[in-house]
Amino acid sequence: MDENEFDRLLKTCRLSLAPEEKAQIKKDIDNIIEYFNTLSDAKCDDFAPAYQPIKVPPRYRKDAVEHFKETGKLLKNSKIYRFFIVGPKI
Amino acid sequence: MKIGLEVHVALPTRSKLFCSCSADAEEPNTAICPICLGFPGSKPMLNEDALKSALTVAKALHCKINPETYFLRKVYFYPDLPKSYQITQLDGAVGHDGYVDIGHKKIRIRRVQLEEDPAKIIREDEYSLLDFNRSGIPLNEIVTEPDIETEDELRLFFNELRSILYYAGVDITKEMKADLNISLSDVRVEIKNVTGIKNLVDAERFEVKRQTELISANQKIRKETRSYNAETMSTVSSREKESDEEYGFIYEPDLAVYPTGNVQTPNVIIASEVAKELSVKYGFNQVTLKELTMFDKKSLELILHGIKGSKSDTVLNAIELLKRQGAITISEQNFDKMLSYLDKGLLLNEDAIKALQENREFSVEGSTVKTEEIDREINAIVSQRPDLVKEYKSNSKAFNFIVGMVLKKHKVNPKYISERLAEILKDKA
Amino acid sequence: MNQSISEFAKSQKPDNYYSELVKKVGELNQKFRMFSNINQDISSGLPFSVKDNICVKDVESTASSKILSGYLPPFNATAVDRLPTDEFGFLGKTKMDEFGFGTFGINCPEHPLNPFDERYVAGGSSSGSAVATAILKHHVSIAESTGGSISSPSSFCGVVGFTPSYGTVSRYGLIDYANSLDKIGVMARSASDARYVFDKMKGSDNYDTTCVDHGVSSLNKKKLVIIDQLVNGIDSEILGSFDRVISKFEGMGYSVEHKSIPFIEKAIPAYYIISMAEASTNLAKYTGFKYGLKVGDFSKPYNDFFTEARSSFGIEAKRRVVLGTFVRSASVKSRYYEKALRLRAMLIATLNDVLKDAFIISPSMPIKVPKVEEAMEMDPVTAYKIDYLTIPPNLAGLPHISFPSDYIGGMPVGTQLVTNHFNDYAILDVVAEWEKSFKYKFKYEVGAL
Repeated sequence: MDENEFDRLLKTCRLSLAPEEKAQIKKDIDNIIEYFNTLSDAKCDDFAPAYQPIKVPPRYRKDAVEHFKETGKLLKNSKIYRFFIVGPKI
Repeated sequence: MKIGLEVHVALPTRSKLFCSCSADAEEPNTAICPICLGFPGSKPMLNEDALKSALTVAKALHCKINPETYFLRKVYFYPDLPKSYQITQLDGAVGHDGYVDIGHKKIRIRRVQLEEDPAKIIREDEYSLLDFNRSGIPLNEIVTEPDIETEDELRLFFNELRSILYYAGVDITKEMKADLNISLSDVRVEIKNVTGIKNLVDAERFEVKRQTELISANQKIRKETRSYNAETMSTVSSREKESDEEYGFIYEPDLAVYPTGNVQTPNVIIASEVAKELSVKYGFNQVTLKELTMFDKKSLELILHGIKGSKSDTVLNAIELLKRQGAITISEQNFDKMLSYLDKGLLLNEDAIKALQENREFSVEGSTVKTEEIDREINAIVSQRPDLVKEYKSNSKAFNFIVGMVLKKHKVNPKYISERLAEILKDKA
Repeated sequence: MNQSISEFAKSQKPDNYYSELVKKVGELNQKFRMFSNINQDISSGLPFSVKDNICVKDVESTASSKILSGYLPPFNATAVDRLPTDEFGFLGKTKMDEFGFGTFGINCPEHPLNPFDERYVAGGSSSGSAVATAILKHHVSIAESTGGSISSPSSFCGVVGFTPSYGTVSRYGLIDYANSLDKIGVMARSASDARYVFDKMKGSDNYDTTCVDHGVSSLNKKKLVIIDQLVNGIDSEILGSFDRVISKFEGMGYSVEHKSIPFIEKAIPAYYIISMAEASTNLAKYTGFKYGLKVGDFSKPYNDFFTEARSSFGIEAKRRVVLGTFVRSASVKSRYYEKALRLRAMLIATLNDVLKDAFIISPSMPIKVPKVEEAMEMDPVTAYKIDYLTIPPNLAGLPHISFPSDYIGGMPVGTQLVTNHFNDYAILDVVAEWEKSFKYKFKYEVGAL
């Protein structure tokens, strides 16, 4: 993988790496992708992608309102200002 | 010019798309739970009625319905997106390849997808504030092909779409948000998050002007995302957006594949199509009929009922009377009564209409007027007040004064009096 | 004969039983580092521990990740919630490879150590759960497996590790690694204890769509299948031991057959591609302000803010996030992510065919328990390939169980049995049968009455 592509990936997943860490991970990733490429000759294209390992029957929730009782505990995990959750600047 | 829209519509459910929180809460962060806040460990469970609503809309937009529908994760980073991925649809969306008929052409609908709304975000100087009440509210994203070619078509499309959504049960009093894709050349510019038709048209105008100027100055138009500022009525280049490459869609492994064939959905009336049919069949004025019914289901129902026994003019006249008096909630039975009076050449005064709406008895003698009575009254005034007659062409007050005089005696539809007065004066002239 | 869980819960214990237990566990935790926190208030029931990626209400749950430090879930995982409080007492959260990313249990600060010899790894990712189970006489641990995270540490620590069929135990409250692969299971000192806990936890849940309403069977055709590719490349001593295990099963009346599935080695890249693709989306939510680690300076533009928070992922998590982001990128998705999903479909079809009248048997791990530094020095591809025995059943969502079957040089060795979907009881029965003639060894019997 070339340097630019690697940097684009890092940016896409919001990671920034120290130079040493970056060199290490870059090397590992190249090796791992090479290993992933061994999948290419598997003769499985006749099979539909199995995005779950079992057949999951459709299940629904009735459209009824139910209040979550521990809202206070949820909000305790964040910084709150006038009932709003504070987030970074946009 | 080619315009494509991505319109976002909140679906009419009581609870959210994947959790039981209320979809209609006022105070910030009161309708929240681990699921719509994206807390680690939580999982989604699909709201049955959200799927039903989404299918209703897709069918109303003449879409082909996927026999099985499924969800995907679309990954991007923004503080209002709790899981940093949105559960949305693409290939397995509820509907695809539909259209909206705007009269002289059809605007093709590429896709109707069901997805979750992000939180509401408020920009402050040093931070942002988030209200997760909105997070997880079910949305339909309606994606059109770039078939809109003029500002007029943009308005027509938006209005027609709103009417269809209204009949599909969507609350259209909430302003709809849309992304506008607009290209004058081969470069597509996307304007995100424009609210309501006025802003949509203003954004389109600004963007056409901006792109035209760039073209005539031989400058390159950048493929980019812009945002619309309603105060300055202009668009500005906005944050760098992830592209399809970066969204990295994967199947949502926490949900199932949902069959659509057995989901019962109501048939949605397309008011403008009905108006067209009725005008051909019964000689209605199509424009008037459309105006009356596009956002008024009750009127359309009464018209469809009334036309079985009365003439189109009488039915329209009755609807106008009822609407003027806010009495459109009248029962079909009493509407029939009203039509029968009108058919007999009787005018109903306000009391009579109110009584019919409220299903009360009323004295036919005291509350109705024969049309001849009105003519007689007008003629009397006209002959007593030649001063007003002389003035009426140059002074609309004089005309209205006469109408007022008649109204004092007979509280009936002023529009009818005006029409009669104009007719009688025309004969005098 | 082991005392059953319900008998233990009801049994007379000295007044200071739980306080002494907590004290002793605390001491041993200094040495083996298996618990991230210990519930000092436990006062009744069979002590159970919970892998740190499974939420326990109001107890810090971090999946051994710095980025979740301080996260207090306001709800219990369904699997935890279903354990009756009059029979089970919550003892603490156990350490693991960060988010489940690892085979040896070393991908977290102060990682757990092997209870037989602390120079050796405990296995991963449910490392702490296995260590706790190997140390405590009366105890079970709620663990979780994505690609072998129950079998590996169970084998290395000499306990029974049961991974149920995908979809039998609700994942609500499990901090996701890879949703289509994650399975909550049990570690115990006997198959009957594991079964008891499994019975309490299983069953469909209104909070997990993928948890299905499906009965569990116990069909046993007394036949074992050895897949040739799964006994290739095994450490010779392990292989010798495995042969002896097979002979014992033959003595117990099982027939043994060999089969070949040449493409089964492709399950490894397919597994890593799917698990990383899903993991990279699951880990996207960690951005440093709603829960867990806080960045604090909200005036930072959100992208910088998020990037700062995410720098606290460990190196393996970073590797997997980058790789997972890559394999699902639009331009290469069909080559990696979708191809891997197709391979999974083919694997399921093939294994189902083998399993319709037999169990698949193999060693749990192809190597003897490695020393900590050996594991540390291993490059990622080598480490990933070590999972080749545990990956096939995990990728296919098949129930499997690792049970102690030998001791080599004083260290335990495990054997793994796999059965078809929802035939979970069958392998629990086989191991219960095995336990009649094979006595497990433990170095510690903390909490023995």
